[in-house]
Amino acid sequence: MIQTIDISSYSVITDAIRSEARRILSDSTVSAVIGYTAGRRKGSTQPIVITTADEADKLLFSAACLNDLVVYLTKAKKDVPKSGRIGIVVKGCDLKAVIGLLGESQLKRENLYLIGIPCSGVLGSLLKPSAELTTKTIASKCCECTDRLPVGCDFVPAVTPAPLPDLEKRYANEISQLEAMTPSERWEFWKEQFSKCIKCYACRQVCPFCFCEQCLCDRNRPQMVEQTPRPSGNTAWHLVRAMHLAGRCAGCGECERVCPMDIPLNLLNRKMAKELKELFNSEAGFEVRDTGPLTSYREDDDQSFIR
Amino acid sequence: MHSAKPRHDFEPKIIAFVCTWCTYAGADLAGTSRMQYPSNVRVLKFPCTGRIDPVFIIKAFQQGADGILVSGCHPGDCHYIAGNYHARRRFAAFRKLLEFIGVDLNRIQFSWVSAAEGGKWVEVVTDLTERVRAMGPMVEFKDLILEEQWSGGLNNPELQAVYEAM
Amino acid sequence: MQKQITEANLRLLIDSLLLKGQRVVGPRQSGTMVLYEPLASASDLVTDELPRRSIKEAFFPVCEDLLEYRKEGQQIELKDIDPARFPETVLFGVRPCDAAAVPVLDAVFSWDYKDQFFLARRAKTTIIGLACTTADDACFCTAVGLSPNDPKGSDLLLTPLVGGGFLVESQSEKGLSFLEAWKDRFSEPDDTKPLPLAQPAATPFDLKKIKAWLDDHFEDPAWDSIATRCVGCGACAFVCPACHCFDIVDEGSEKAGKRRKFWDACGFSKFTNHASGHNPRDLQPKRYRNRIMHKFKYYDDKFGQTLCTGCGRCIRVCPVGIDIAGVLEEIEKK
Repeated sequence: MIQTIDISSYSVITDAIRSEARRILSDSTVSAVIGYTAGRRKGSTQPIVITTADEADKLLFSAACLNDLVVYLTKAKKDVPKSGRIGIVVKGCDLKAVIGLLGESQLKRENLYLIGIPCSGVLGSLLKPSAELTTKTIASKCCECTDRLPVGCDFVPAVTPAPLPDLEKRYANEISQLEAMTPSERWEFWKEQFSKCIKCYACRQVCPFCFCEQCLCDRNRPQMVEQTPRPSGNTAWHLVRAMHLAGRCAGCGECERVCPMDIPLNLLNRKMAKELKELFNSEAGFEVRDTGPLTSYREDDDQSFIR
Repeated sequence: MHSAKPRHDFEPKIIAFVCTWCTYAGADLAGTSRMQYPSNVRVLKFPCTGRIDPVFIIKAFQQGADGILVSGCHPGDCHYIAGNYHARRRFAAFRKLLEFIGVDLNRIQFSWVSAAEGGKWVEVVTDLTERVRAMGPMVEFKDLILEEQWSGGLNNPELQAVYEAM
Repeated sequence: MQKQITEANLRLLIDSLLLKGQRVVGPRQSGTMVLYEPLASASDLVTDELPRRSIKEAFFPVCEDLLEYRKEGQQIELKDIDPARFPETVLFGVRPCDAAAVPVLDAVFSWDYKDQFFLARRAKTTIIGLACTTADDACFCTAVGLSPNDPKGSDLLLTPLVGGGFLVESQSEKGLSFLEAWKDRFSEPDDTKPLPLAQPAATPFDLKKIKAWLDDHFEDPAWDSIATRCVGCGACAFVCPACHCFDIVDEGSEKAGKRRKFWDACGFSKFTNHASGHNPRDLQPKRYRNRIMHKFKYYDDKFGQTLCTGCGRCIRVCPVGIDIAGVLEEIEKK
């Protein structure tokens, strides 16, 4: 049974974000605030960087605020002004990216003014931005979320989000279904998915953790991954990306959301997260740490697979 | 127990990624001791298993490998102190990813072979070769290379022949 | 020439084409998306949704082989891909926003270099357009001088009629020959009214005014506010019916391989990277500026046409909600 989700708190949150942004920009606590603003199409939103207090009324928060704005803080986005302290609107999932990047020395906590959002969920896709938020249209990542009230932020609107109805854990279910298949069934599934890829790199470009100055897959001396969008090179590309994110990806799900060809990319990342939790009891995005599961080791790590 | 009929006309290509200080030396010892083992294995020498990037394994499958061996120093014996510890974690994760994609993990073998273990090298290589021989050629990645996704189903028999020969 | 066809006869026509071994490409359900793909039968057709990608890939594939090389000893053998192998194709159910981009692509691919890979496929393709009776809020064909039943680019245009069936209007020699070849399926038009056409909410842009601003504002702080949010992927360029940049690489081993041509996008950070390391479009606002300039100024300067048909796909797929119609509105206001 499809239920509507109560997002009446979002208008209160919008007002709170605006007044806070106005305050921190007028008294120069920050030099800019990265948040969401309305788009042309009804219900749509887009990221915005405001630098003056009178732009504060452009900010808003709604169920269409899907973007992980943390990507704008990374060195991949050199054109976003980064002098002084920057304010940024973060949902619980986005905050995990901040925590990860702090650990990797990509961000400095004192340069950030975190505006946390008590979140009741966001849409899974912006193909219909004015869609109502229901248990069907809600993003798959929201179904498994444990961080609706972000902790450790500099400002959080004093709002308690309404409790959510029981949501089916979609990623966990899909992963179990795939794990229950035979290897050749799984291969057929992923072969079909990877054949759809047109190498637009939207997945890489929106990812806060893909901030390499030159991606491995853009190098040709040596060329480890083919550039052309053919099934072979596409498979290599997605495997390499999943490995480079393993232990770092905090599950914002943007890669899957932005893929124009509907490839279920977050399944790979969630599977790796699950394995790393089981193998090494490690989860990304909960505490600032300068090593991850794949940059550290224990002498008694499992080696049952090694002869 | 009657085992799977070996395909005598199929010689699997086994690529071995080994570390210089232990496994390579162990393979050397097997050679100087004149131990016989299948010549299907092609050895790639790395300074340390910690240097082995999962992308090399993907590339090896794409280029026609039927089986992969990754072998290095026993934990605690790494010439670079901790390289094999990092490799151990990395490959524990990577094999889960490959399994999730649908690669049969029986084609990939990890081992610790020290410089003194010529005999163990021979065992590991022989077992892997025979296991992969029974499984047949690894067609999954090669099929992907042949997939002509976008050009409207162009059928090019000459190209087919080139890749078949690969 | 005008004819009419019932829905049943149209399906029979498509099935007959398929039975003859003719390749028919049309919108069909492909997993979670609708795409222009080869049909296996007329019942595959889906006509109520705009396909995710455009038909440019019928002539300009996402990735295509240009030549093969093989090396034996010191001998290198090169083999060209034979354009005679490209299949004859009937593109069916093509939306006017997709069909209108085809003459635009024709101009580029037969300009200073006649691209045989494009032109040979183009010559073997018949385009049967289908007028739109629905639009969503991202469609803006009417804002760039087109319409939901624009015949530009189609060889035949079908317009849905009340009660089912279609009005069929030929637009070219190819269209006329198609009607002639299959005349048993078509009937003379009667007075059946066409269904009301889609009405995209967008008001027409003054493209001349926009171009005049673009002519004079290469450097303008507006580009920063418009495009800092762009993350530099290729989604907009790849789904666009008119974007046509490509890259060429050699792939294979030293023994054998292929030279391939595949889609590229001006949004990518290394698109204008020089061998020296200098990159004239080093920041994203410069790259996005290029997108707008190319579509609404440079292409007009060179070919007298706009490189945008208002299909709205870039708006729907943009990861960060950049709305090209909104950008044009903003520029027009200045």
